[in-house]
Amino acid sequence: MATPHARSSAAIEREPCHADFLQSTRLLFPAHSNEEAIRPWTVTTLAQTYAPPSAVWQPSKQLSPRIKRLRDEYFAFDQRSRYFTNEVRGYTTGTPWDQLYSFNEWGVTPEAVPFMRGFRDSLRALAETVEFGDELFKLSIAERRAHFFNTVLTKHLPVAILEGELVVGSYFNTALSKVLTKGEQKEWDKGQARFYEELKHRCETGEFNYGAIPGHLVPNYPKILQKGFRGVQEDLKALSAKITDPKHQAWLRALILSCEAPRILSERYAAEAEHLAKKENNSERRHELEMIVRICRKVPWEPAETFWEAVQSVWMSHMLVMAAESYPGPGTSPGRIDQYLLPYYEHDLENHTITREFAKELLECYWIKHNYAYDFQARVGNSQGINSSFGQLITIGGIDRNGEDSSNDLTWLILEVIEEMNLLEPKPNIRLHAKTPEPLVRRVAQMVARSQGSPFLVNFDETSMKGLVWQGVPSDEVWDYAPVGCLENTMIGNDVSGTVDVNPNLAKAVELALSDGRDIRLGLQLGPKTGDPLSFKTFSQFDEAFKEQTRALLDRAIKANNFADALRVNFEPVPYLSLLVDNCAESGKDCRAGGARYNFITVEAMGLSTAADSLAAVKKLVYDEGRVPMEKLLHAIRTNFEDDEELRQLLLHHGPKFGNDDADADQIAREISRLWGEYVFKQVAPASGRRYRGGYLSWNYFISFAPKTAATPDGRRRGEYLSNGVCPAQGRDIQGPTAAAISVGKLGLEAQPNGSSHTITFSPSSLRDEEHLNKLVAFLRTYGKVGGTAIQTNVVSAGTLRAAQERPEEYRNLLVRVTGYNAYFTTLGKEQQDEIINRVSHQL
Amino acid sequence: MGMVLNIQRFSTEDGPGIRTTVFLKGCALRCKWCQNPESWTMTPQVVWYQNRCIGARHCLSACPEEALALTPKGMTIDRRRCSGCGDCAPVCPAKAIEVLGTRRSIDDVSAEVLRDRPFYEESRGGVTLSGGDPLFQFSFALALLTRFKAEGLHTALDTAGYGTLSRFRALVGQSDLVLYDLKIVEPEKHQRFTGVPVEPVLRNARWLGAQPNSVWIRTPIIPGFTDSPENIEAIAAFIRESIPTAERWDLLGFNRLCLPKWQRLDTPFECTETSLVSEQQMTQLVEIANESQVPKITWSGVTREAAAPDPIEHPYVGCDRR
Repeated sequence: MATPHARSSAAIEREPCHADFLQSTRLLFPAHSNEEAIRPWTVTTLAQTYAPPSAVWQPSKQLSPRIKRLRDEYFAFDQRSRYFTNEVRGYTTGTPWDQLYSFNEWGVTPEAVPFMRGFRDSLRALAETVEFGDELFKLSIAERRAHFFNTVLTKHLPVAILEGELVVGSYFNTALSKVLTKGEQKEWDKGQARFYEELKHRCETGEFNYGAIPGHLVPNYPKILQKGFRGVQEDLKALSAKITDPKHQAWLRALILSCEAPRILSERYAAEAEHLAKKENNSERRHELEMIVRICRKVPWEPAETFWEAVQSVWMSHMLVMAAESYPGPGTSPGRIDQYLLPYYEHDLENHTITREFAKELLECYWIKHNYAYDFQARVGNSQGINSSFGQLITIGGIDRNGEDSSNDLTWLILEVIEEMNLLEPKPNIRLHAKTPEPLVRRVAQMVARSQGSPFLVNFDETSMKGLVWQGVPSDEVWDYAPVGCLENTMIGNDVSGTVDVNPNLAKAVELALSDGRDIRLGLQLGPKTGDPLSFKTFSQFDEAFKEQTRALLDRAIKANNFADALRVNFEPVPYLSLLVDNCAESGKDCRAGGARYNFITVEAMGLSTAADSLAAVKKLVYDEGRVPMEKLLHAIRTNFEDDEELRQLLLHHGPKFGNDDADADQIAREISRLWGEYVFKQVAPASGRRYRGGYLSWNYFISFAPKTAATPDGRRRGEYLSNGVCPAQGRDIQGPTAAAISVGKLGLEAQPNGSSHTITFSPSSLRDEEHLNKLVAFLRTYGKVGGTAIQTNVVSAGTLRAAQERPEEYRNLLVRVTGYNAYFTTLGKEQQDEIINRVSHQL
Repeated sequence: MGMVLNIQRFSTEDGPGIRTTVFLKGCALRCKWCQNPESWTMTPQVVWYQNRCIGARHCLSACPEEALALTPKGMTIDRRRCSGCGDCAPVCPAKAIEVLGTRRSIDDVSAEVLRDRPFYEESRGGVTLSGGDPLFQFSFALALLTRFKAEGLHTALDTAGYGTLSRFRALVGQSDLVLYDLKIVEPEKHQRFTGVPVEPVLRNARWLGAQPNSVWIRTPIIPGFTDSPENIEAIAAFIRESIPTAERWDLLGFNRLCLPKWQRLDTPFECTETSLVSEQQMTQLVEIANESQVPKITWSGVTREAAAPDPIEHPYVGCDRR
């Protein structure tokens, strides 16, 4: 059993908070009638409290000097830039047509669209030339990629071992040549240009964004631990002997070649460690370096036998995925590390070759490594709201193959690591289920309560597995799933489900249904002509127009994405990653081309509640009660409520709202949710053969698409944020978290097997002692029965967030949970900060 | 049918576990520091929220009694004219006019309470009947509690204990837990500050102390009214002698969050100048309270040092809550 850390055992102490009576002026809307003007009467005083910086989750004071140094070093970008940064290194074949940057890989960051061409050109301009013989261009693209990658690893990618580190492998942010021939490149460039134009257009209309996004999978690291890349290579050779198809043969050659990649780089790290060991005066460190030499010469090429070897093997394999994909950690997730590292941990403990403390230190070294993904953007600023986008999600807990709890001592050790490190990556997730032991749920609740932010994604096995079974995972395999990135449920080591690939805006379909398919701002006919709403006699006519617009919008999004998918299938294989995805060798296909056992492309809809609340308002106020004439509503939507605040208030306050356990609003939300979830599941991308599936992860699109979406009949003005994930629209859930959970549970979320983002914020005082902590524990457990697939809890007061916004330098540790990932609050863009404060101000 | 003020889900301060609290309207007491003055009378009451009002004026024409007037200083409600009919509220687009108090049936209230049953089961929570004082709507309260018991819910009765013993006994008979307010023991002060004699409260408490029900005592700590060491000492002595079944005693520090409520009801609030309690004082009072031999004594509230946690911004809290 874990020894509770001093800080966590103090969780029942009173939270030291300072009341701060801030004056907040709330301006009222000026009167608009011809009658006497009514002035704003009031200055409202809001009692606000905030936690001082010292009460915010901090790294432990008990970190070992080694870990403290390594952790500080990571944060000291400017100081260490003299000797080490993991910034992007471009590598080109040197051909005049070469390109290193794929627009289609970054389509899910609409805020980056204006800069994409700049990124592309500057990467190419700064790239180092890698010798790549003309004869190699005769090989298949996959073989070329394997050769190119291996050459980069042999001769170009630098190696560095930082002072004191036990897990090595430092440089992994790359921009690799696509290694295309002139003819291929021409075709690819044409495709890129077409993709870019369409993406730009769709981001401007606010209909959707999309792209063939790298990562977002759990590679089969357990296989590497058991077999090593050598074993994998032997299997491939054996398979190759049986294959006659020349294309398949070429593919297997690419895979066989790629098995060398980790060996090449590990040998260079071994040599570096050897070199350092010779110079090292401190005998203890010298011994460590000698161990590193030995370990790097062994893993990941050979199977791992010790815990240290296993951790090193996982890191090297993982870091090379990021290098091979030239995209640092986008949901490239280690998965259930408390399961597959456990045998090594137990083995070493039994043989007394390791102590629990040392195992922890190894894990902490490994933890820091993941964070170096962020050097990728260290110089381009970190306040774009996208800085937390690299979700290398680790998963602990959950059931085992027999349906029993699988948590173990390593689970508890990892919890200590998470708590003591207070780092952004790897992002932690805990799988809870009906049989999760009480102490474990309590421990998690305690950490959530103490963090003043949220260290966790809590994923619920029962509801998550239901969706995965719905999409076709056999029920006897589904226990071994793990979310990737933020909360996207996938299977482990055999599943490429392209989460966050296609992100449609459901609220846009409302706009189009109200305007006969035209974008109100741009005047463009985006959707089908579903009719002038003035001609609709019944709500069901309006509802049908909305549904048709939704289906058509999904068609446009899927069609656009099919193009991106084909571009990638044809030109951008990653043989190294395909080694880590089951079935790619046998199927003869790259993991991006449908080679995996499970192949999906995930559609993550946003604006569910905004759309549902809008339809509910139209149904009740326009049709059922006749209180609002359609003409008046249309005018208000077109003019953004500028001359009809009264109507806006009416819609806002008298329309039913999703998230309140309200039968009408919840039923409408469910219909929308099932409609689109089932609709996309019928579609398949022709190039890769991957089927589309649904999910709810709005990431930050509910902000970027807000100004592109006209005012909506729920009373939202243009520019006000759309709803996020399955969350009720901001501040509209007034019945508390139990009602919100029940509403979400009614959606029938198995039609969104990817999972659903639901963020709930609690006030710190509601978790002030053991008694209240027990209530959170019970809430979490019940949520697993009645609610959605995952929950993210923020325990923070609006006062604390405001203080952090005003004095960011004092609150650099404040982590908050944002639509599926955690982020340092002070590094978020102001819009996103405001959105979180707004949400917290309505906290439950 | 009964007059319900509010039903609050995810109630975490009114008994064990996750609960739903049903606030009934009507109370016999008139405590000077009352946190919920809108719960005093049985009749529906109209209130106006200035920060929500957009000046649409529909309420003015909807009022059959012409009781409303919008002046440059805000809305005035002629309380002598207002019959509480509620015609003004639904016409307000911004919900700036609200009628506090709705007549609801047992079935209706019960259906809403049962929605969170899975949460009660997991948390060992249940339903709390609060007010006002449930004793004030005795028949309705009894019917509700009886229904909740029949549904298998854990029931808590939150009461100030002022009523006949027979009625009190009937409600307690359907309650697993009683949250019992003891504010002041000294008769003259009790009469002066709460408007009612203390004897029925103490009599019912004595009877309660001999019953098998769980009991949690609650005492509002109001500077100048209930916060003297002598008062807490007297309550402690009373509990020790008469309510040996008390499992817990909560001292609830005064706050002024209820001030806008008093203003909205056009009722002068005597505690405007009352200060917050100091943390040191609360700790001292807990020391004294320990003499009651109640196993668990807690305190909560916003203290003068402002060193307490965020106040929980629930729209309604039970009588003398916080």
